Amino acid sequence: MAKSFKEMLAESGQELGFQSGGKAPEELTSREILWEPHPRIAKLKEIYMDSLSSTNNEFPYWYTREYFQHDNEIPVVRRALALRTAFSHLTPLIYPGELMTMRKGAFFRASFPMPWLSEGFYMANESSFYQEALKRGSASVDEHSKFGQGGGNVPKSFGKVISIAGKFGMRQEEIPILLELAKMWDGKSVDDLGHKYEQMVPDYDVKEAIMRSVACMFDSGFTLPQGREVANYYYPLEYGFEGIKAIAREKKSEVAGRADGDGMVGTNRLYNYEAIIIAIEGVQNWIHNYGDHASWLAKREKDAKQKEEYLAMADRLYWIEKNQPRTFLEAFQLIETLHYAIINEDAISGLSSGRIGQVLYPWFEQDIEAGRITEDEVLELLEQDRLIKTSIDCFASVGVVGGVLSGNTFNTLSVGGVDRHGKTAVNRLEYLIVKAGGTNAMPQSNIALHYDETVPADFLSLAADVIKTGCGYPAFMNNDVAQEFMLNHYGHEGMTVQESRAWSIGGCLETSPGCWKPLHLNGKEYWIPGGAGQPTSVGVHFIAMPKILELVLFNGVDQRTGIQVFKPHNQNLETFEELFEQFKAYWDKAVDVLALTNNIQHDVWRKNNMGVFHSMTKPDCLESGHLINELGYRYNATFNVESAGNITCINSLAALKKLVYDDKKYTFEQMLDAIRNNFGFKTAHEIGKFSLLEQEKEENAKMDYEQMHYDCLNAPKYGNDDHYVDEILLDWENWFCAHSETVESLYGEPMYSCQISVSTHGAMGSAALASADGRLQGTTFADASLSAYPGTDRKGPFALMNSAAIWDHSMSQNSQMNVKIHPTAIKGQEGSRKLIELVRSYMRQGGFHVQFNVVDSKVLKDAQKNPQNYRDLMVRVAGFTQYWVEIGKQVQDELIARTEYESV
Amino acid sequence: MEEKIFRNSLNYIPVDVAKGIDRITGKRVNADDLDPNYERMPKCMHCKNFRLNEEKIGLGWCHMKDKDFIAYPDMVAVTCKGYMEK
Repeated sequence: MAKSFKEMLAESGQELGFQSGGKAPEELTSREILWEPHPRIAKLKEIYMDSLSSTNNEFPYWYTREYFQHDNEIPVVRRALALRTAFSHLTPLIYPGELMTMRKGAFFRASFPMPWLSEGFYMANESSFYQEALKRGSASVDEHSKFGQGGGNVPKSFGKVISIAGKFGMRQEEIPILLELAKMWDGKSVDDLGHKYEQMVPDYDVKEAIMRSVACMFDSGFTLPQGREVANYYYPLEYGFEGIKAIAREKKSEVAGRADGDGMVGTNRLYNYEAIIIAIEGVQNWIHNYGDHASWLAKREKDAKQKEEYLAMADRLYWIEKNQPRTFLEAFQLIETLHYAIINEDAISGLSSGRIGQVLYPWFEQDIEAGRITEDEVLELLEQDRLIKTSIDCFASVGVVGGVLSGNTFNTLSVGGVDRHGKTAVNRLEYLIVKAGGTNAMPQSNIALHYDETVPADFLSLAADVIKTGCGYPAFMNNDVAQEFMLNHYGHEGMTVQESRAWSIGGCLETSPGCWKPLHLNGKEYWIPGGAGQPTSVGVHFIAMPKILELVLFNGVDQRTGIQVFKPHNQNLETFEELFEQFKAYWDKAVDVLALTNNIQHDVWRKNNMGVFHSMTKPDCLESGHLINELGYRYNATFNVESAGNITCINSLAALKKLVYDDKKYTFEQMLDAIRNNFGFKTAHEIGKFSLLEQEKEENAKMDYEQMHYDCLNAPKYGNDDHYVDEILLDWENWFCAHSETVESLYGEPMYSCQISVSTHGAMGSAALASADGRLQGTTFADASLSAYPGTDRKGPFALMNSAAIWDHSMSQNSQMNVKIHPTAIKGQEGSRKLIELVRSYMRQGGFHVQFNVVDSKVLKDAQKNPQNYRDLMVRVAGFTQYWVEIGKQVQDELIARTEYESV
Repeated sequence: MEEKIFRNSLNYIPVDVAKGIDRITGKRVNADDLDPNYERMPKCMHCKNFRLNEEKIGLGWCHMKDKDFIAYPDMVAVTCKGYMEK
């Protein structure tokens, strides 16, 4: 019987699912801490747990209808008119029992297509949609119930529901209009127009070859043109919508017809202010419709308490439609509304709420003091906020939603950090926010704890308790490292030390610039932080480092497709230095052509599809009259170059250095032969399985690669405090971070490196050959950017962190490390203390980020076999938490395979 | 023939594309089940401004402000200022 990959690893002294520092108990161990939400929230959560991702055409219909009425209107005004009409027509939907309301559309997990951005990915299936829609008969509850195994995903059509992109369900009655609307945008969408012009970039064929070989994950210029940034709720919270409109009207009078020294876009301010007013009117109409719906519900309601709640809700909505909020609940409702408004304006993943504990604190403080609300009532609202944020879906292609996001939309919130004066910013409301993360453990909002030496000990202790619920958050981010990055990168845009303290996490792990604004409530002034930067969702997104190395080894040819991706280098690569230099040369070429093409895509976006409502919320658009597309944001150098498969590539370089160049045990050609032949294993594509755990050896392989594979697996591996390999990581990081700063965005600003994997390590691994570290073809790369490859970190968590901290993390927007710990390893107060000490130690070494999966791997295995028993099981993937049942199998297997620490 | 099913009724609270909650009983119901307490929800199909396209399944036209624009019968019209019940 041929050996499996798992057995090979075990023989080489490594092990998938390796237990480090002890042995886990035989029995399944559940999480130490299990808290429950308030009954009201539990009831709403039950609805969520049984709901499918659902989509319809209401918003795109009205947007399209209005847009095509205004040929030749000024683009920004035309867009605002379309947005106003679309918002004004959204059907309100209020569930009994909810205190805060409004949602993306008329389902619990609603989203909708935006054909003006991209229509190609679902138009490609036009004929099959028609066929599905026509042939399907009546609905079947039996068929429906089968979908529980995929959580809220709709991977297949059933009854009268058509699956789109393997994720969203749409009623068959909606399919004809979906396709008609898409046809109207054919050739006009950002995707189509961008494609027309990107082809004019010299070497465009290289870009296309890169995409076909999956050396790069996706086009960031139009798929998710905004996001992975921090929202700013300040202006509506300070002035109310009527106040903002009054400012905009006044500004219109000031700027009408005036260039004020800016002959390029000075006069645009008039149209921009007009567009802001129009877009706000749309959002006001939307809120008003919700108010009317709440009033209508109150009239019909027989239950006195529910009736009263509907009436109070209507009152709140009518008030915030126009004015600054008066109470904590009104303020919270307003920021939920703003959040939805922004993500309805564009395809956005990763609109983070930022430091809402500090933003909402003025109302919290005054309501608590006045006895208008209790902490328990606040906790209940915070629990509902988690439900609201977890329900947010983003309609995009399967590659983006599945391959990159795993269905998560990264509405992260931040706690901790420091205030304007450098003192801890932790307040009482933030304790409740963290607590709600445990009492209503759901994937979102992910909580980012800005670690600073001044963060109170009991706050960290509470964070440890929440981590023990198994929710995967809070994640810890190093406040000092982030501030240093801010000053280094945004200094030329005017970033000061004080302003650098206003940073927050955007998306799952994107360090994003912010600013402080003075908020006034009942005569008292508070300085609140909020986002002040452009999206970080745009740039060169996810280049697979192992794939670039593979192309170096094979002279620029992708072995899977046969495509010549890069020009042949025709070098013998006789030294490791030559190999590394060629790697950098191909990397440089890939980044260059991808940056240029994405610049064009996003340039089309900014000309026709700019954010209007969102721009109004971000400093300093309202003051300057310039929106996002005219550098109205305070910080514009936010675009980035993202890598994937960092550690797989570093380990592979180390193996080549060791076995080919230093020890000369194998020739370069022998190594290529082994990689091409997948070390004698069947290919993942051949067996149809991409999991690390399921790879099978070829029974009748022509060559026996066993010893060679064994040597590759045994070559030095990152994560063991071994300088042989860690020095390669250091060299790479020093080069990569500096190189990224040489790349220019369409806004004329330098980019920077971003080092997260999200879920790309699964999707991109599946398109890559075996690698010199012994990883097999088609299987996942190591997750994140500083996690060890499963089973290869043999010397415990401190050794792993020593390896990770070898380079200066402040050179990069982020770094990312996931650690899996068995619940018994951090049990009790002593366990919590050890966990915090581990974090502290890493942060003091300069590590930027660490997060923990506290879970028994046996539970994960059982969940794979019996998913019906684990609908609410959550795991930390890479920068985000997701329901186990909503993750693809290859990433599930990678999670099982990760090293499990049995002691800390 | 009007389909007196939940997803066409004002008593229905949609959860997703397949199911929802009966507002009267509070019970979970299938979107396509008959609603015993059916109350017509405004949809384009019931509007005077809407006419069906006999040649294209699931499509029609909406005539408002002296202009025709493509429309579809199933669209909810509770927020439409131009809705006029047939």
